[in-house]
Amino acid sequence: MSGATAPQRWASRSRWPPGLGLAALTAVAGLGLGSLGALLWQARGVHPAALWQEPWLAAVLRFTLWQATLSTLLAVGLAVPVALALARRPRFPGRGLLLRAMELSLVLPTLIGLFGLVAVHGRRGWAAPLWEGLVGSESGYLYGLSGIVLAHVFYNLPLAARLMLQALETAPAAHWRLASQLGLTRATIWRTLEWPCLAPLLPRLAALIFTLCFTSFAIVMTLGGGPRSSTLEVALYQALKFDHDLALAALLALTQLTICLSLWLLALSRGGAPSLVVGSVSLPTGGRWRRRDALGVSRVTDAFWLTALAALLLPPLAAVVLAGLAGLPELPRQASLWAAAARSLIMALGAAAGALTLSLSLLTGSRWLKARRHGAAALLMEGGGQLILVIPALVLGTGLFLLLRPTLGSGWQGYGLVVLVNAFMALPFAMQVVRGALPGLSAPEERLADQFGIRGRVRLRWLVWPRLRRPLALALAYAMTLSLGDFSVIALFGSPSAPTLPMLLYQQLGGYRWQGAAATALLLLALVVLVFVLLGLWTRRPPRYPWNRFAREERHARVP
Amino acid sequence: MLECRDLIFHYDRFEPGETPDFSFSFRLAPGECLSVAGPSGAGKSTLLGLLAGFLEPASGSLAWQGEDLLARPPWERGITTVFQEHNLFDQLPVWLNVGLGLSPDMRLTPAQQARVREGLAEVGLAGLHDRLPAELSGGQRQRVALLRALLRGSRILLLDEPFSGLDEATREGLWALVRRQKAAGAAVLLVSHDRDDIEALAERRAWLESGRLRGDASAQPRGS
Amino acid sequence: MSSKVHAAGASLAALLAAGSLQADETLTVYTYDSFVSEWGPGPGIEAAFEARCGDCDLEFVALPGGVDILQRLRLEGEGTRADLVLGLDMNLMAEARALDLMAPHGADLAPLDLPIDWSDETFLPYDWGHFAFVYDTEQLETPPGSFAELLEAPEEVKVILQGPRTSVTGQGLMLWIKKVYGDRAPEVWARLNERVLAVTNGWSQAYFSLFMNGEAPMVLSYATSPAYHMAVEETDRYQAAEFEEGHYLQVETAAMLRTTEQPELARDFLAFILTPDFQRHIPLGNVMNPAIDLGDERPQVFDRLIEPESLTFTPEEVRAHRREWIREWLNASVR
Repeated sequence: MSGATAPQRWASRSRWPPGLGLAALTAVAGLGLGSLGALLWQARGVHPAALWQEPWLAAVLRFTLWQATLSTLLAVGLAVPVALALARRPRFPGRGLLLRAMELSLVLPTLIGLFGLVAVHGRRGWAAPLWEGLVGSESGYLYGLSGIVLAHVFYNLPLAARLMLQALETAPAAHWRLASQLGLTRATIWRTLEWPCLAPLLPRLAALIFTLCFTSFAIVMTLGGGPRSSTLEVALYQALKFDHDLALAALLALTQLTICLSLWLLALSRGGAPSLVVGSVSLPTGGRWRRRDALGVSRVTDAFWLTALAALLLPPLAAVVLAGLAGLPELPRQASLWAAAARSLIMALGAAAGALTLSLSLLTGSRWLKARRHGAAALLMEGGGQLILVIPALVLGTGLFLLLRPTLGSGWQGYGLVVLVNAFMALPFAMQVVRGALPGLSAPEERLADQFGIRGRVRLRWLVWPRLRRPLALALAYAMTLSLGDFSVIALFGSPSAPTLPMLLYQQLGGYRWQGAAATALLLLALVVLVFVLLGLWTRRPPRYPWNRFAREERHARVP
Repeated sequence: MLECRDLIFHYDRFEPGETPDFSFSFRLAPGECLSVAGPSGAGKSTLLGLLAGFLEPASGSLAWQGEDLLARPPWERGITTVFQEHNLFDQLPVWLNVGLGLSPDMRLTPAQQARVREGLAEVGLAGLHDRLPAELSGGQRQRVALLRALLRGSRILLLDEPFSGLDEATREGLWALVRRQKAAGAAVLLVSHDRDDIEALAERRAWLESGRLRGDASAQPRGS
Repeated sequence: MSSKVHAAGASLAALLAAGSLQADETLTVYTYDSFVSEWGPGPGIEAAFEARCGDCDLEFVALPGGVDILQRLRLEGEGTRADLVLGLDMNLMAEARALDLMAPHGADLAPLDLPIDWSDETFLPYDWGHFAFVYDTEQLETPPGSFAELLEAPEEVKVILQGPRTSVTGQGLMLWIKKVYGDRAPEVWARLNERVLAVTNGWSQAYFSLFMNGEAPMVLSYATSPAYHMAVEETDRYQAAEFEEGHYLQVETAAMLRTTEQPELARDFLAFILTPDFQRHIPLGNVMNPAIDLGDERPQVFDRLIEPESLTFTPEEVRAHRREWIREWLNASVR
């Protein structure tokens, strides 16, 4: 018969080049392992046991663990009644404001929040006269352990409460309906509805918050820092910065790494990857049904918790805005401020671009692998993006410094290193956002496009890009915000006479230069908001398709 | 004439000598319609996927007038598939969705634009020229998809239950479109279990059983 | 030219890293920030030097403190932009020397008027002072007259310190205690820490933000600090407590980098340091004792300052034991 079976067949293949993914993975793994190796090499002469015999270092380790534990317990423990109260009260004046404030504290750069906290709770803060009136002694609670824990709770309680609220929403509406019908009491609702939703969340949440508190740098630097209130990260920074004691720095870095890694493995082993995504929280399902437990004494307790939440969150945020506005007239006069802003922006763009490139490469590579049924390899490739969760930023930065030995000072090498580490810090989030959107086209749409021969540039531009625009813009915005507000690696490798905005703010906070600090905080906040607004505006604009032009021409043509 | 011989599809690697999961053989002449019925999971999507080029066969042959189609990518096979749903791109307006069939790089010449406009008018969708698919009803969307197929004028038309869920009146309109394509010389493969559809369109009937085509599939087409 | 413009200039120059906009005859000096602030000696000295050299431009790069200057040099190595460093004190000298970046100053040491003999050829002193605890007479009527008394003082007598790792004054205190108490230093630290209000990173935070706001009656500073208040603010409120054990001496030095592209200009500046044109800005600008005898130009209030016995370690001793002593301090502080 005619037409022998041709050995040549058209095979449906993924159009994304896998080479990029491989390159990205190699880069990530190489840098990660390289920095680890450099750390191990540097610390080889030091005997860990002998070192921990030093009371000071043992105290540092104890303090780090203690403050993290305390912060986690308080943040998670207090978040439970707050989340329950929020879920129980779907409508009350200011609920929207409170939810927005909680969202804001998630993206707020650490130093800005610190500025607000100092303005409210510091020695000369708003709350100081209150404290002195109530307690009698001077208001010094913001410094040392209590201050550090307060700041951690300020940042992590909203996160915990948001995630708990989301978890509560997963209870099926039918159950709530039942509860309403049967008139279940508060204790019963807790046992049958609320606790089952929260229980699976708690271990992973606690692990996440513990890690955040364990590795927090800016907060401890600003509110602690003396030998009695230093954490591993701060001790690492000081060893590197002041003593130039590379061996000690390496040892501290490795200790921190070991603890974080064990924690991560522990969290993983409890089931599921710790991908805690903060989604949008609307009206809780439980709120649509009238709850018996919403009456009576719970009105009082809920009001208490919600007021407490507001008292925690709102004053510092208000202080930032108010002090910032007061600092407005200072803005034009501070030349160093604008230079710092320019530096921050350039670095943020670099970090965001790096994070996006890496995440796109890793994700497309992993999809290619999945399509070829290499599931394990695909998982490895995606896992590479989570490097920073395993190796904390300062540790990674130290290792890279030891590996690459850039010449710091006013050259670009130090800043380049910071941009690199910032890109790694933004990578997990960027991957999260982009992953959902990546195929760009759904499977049926791909078939359609194949059928009609819409390929290459045309497909990319008119079909895929409009789908990817928003997620990419969001990832870009978050990565830029992260870098703009970052104060960790920059403290090590930046040069103090050419600071970025957070660094400048830190210097001013440390030097009690209030006017300057207010102006800097305002500018930083404004930049963060601007990034989001601009990117939001750009993606809201409908894409310029050619038919818009044609349609307009048609309309003009029709008019006689 | 579309000739399909022992087109084999197997879920895992296929060793010669094994019994394949699916094996298809049939012939279809231009202007003819073959209906394929069968329970879900029996292999209808597999068959269409293999024909259109979305799936890779383990072995076998597929040829149109002697030309081997397997070596060609989907857009070069001269096949248009109309699915049950998701035939249109949500982000493109109706006229451009139709126009895709004429111009894959989405640039329509004035002549092509005119054809689109006329086509829409003919099927009674003139007012929906600039709308987005989300604003159309299910029946209207299928009409747009079939119009596109008509304008494209492919020699082979594959229909995957395109009329399901639609009311009688809409169906009749859509049947008319299919008949126009048959009249223009297209070979039509209709996957459907709806008796009315099959009766209205198909000259030959087949069904899927254990991964094989039974019925009128292999019979000599009438008139040859 | 105000220091703000200096700050802007410094940042801009740093921003455009290699390939700078500098004029050919620019002398870059790394120093600490209080030197170049508006009320510091920097502006006056700059004007005087630029008048003297004619076409040149003096550019100060402000770093937080002496320790930071050392760190920067260490990190930048031979690629450093600095032509001169000004602000490394005696205790940092040996470490700085070990970097092998300095060149001999070539200046004539005859005019030097220090409490100790000085013969170093690389580091040139430009001022000196004794570390001391400055107290607020309004909060504290009778100050402690010795370390021993300080440790025995009532609870309300709190002190504000600076950290030995991060600040020159803090390091000075550490050396002071070590010199007086030797092996008993850790005990002394532990007892001192009981009355510490705050340990800051730098001197200005401690002095201006905490002490001047009345947060505590005593602050670690210099014996010359009261001179500023007496001369400029015309108040006797702040005085230095004199300890009978003696006070640790600090001598601040300047040195030129051997990698400088302006060796002539740098040497000229170093020679300039020991002239009255430079030194007259020191007493009330830097609030320290001038390195030469200014005679009548020295402000009268300086006669009313304490003149304690000087304690020192040699720079090599400091370098050899610094890390160990700092560990001692750290360990004592966490007890």
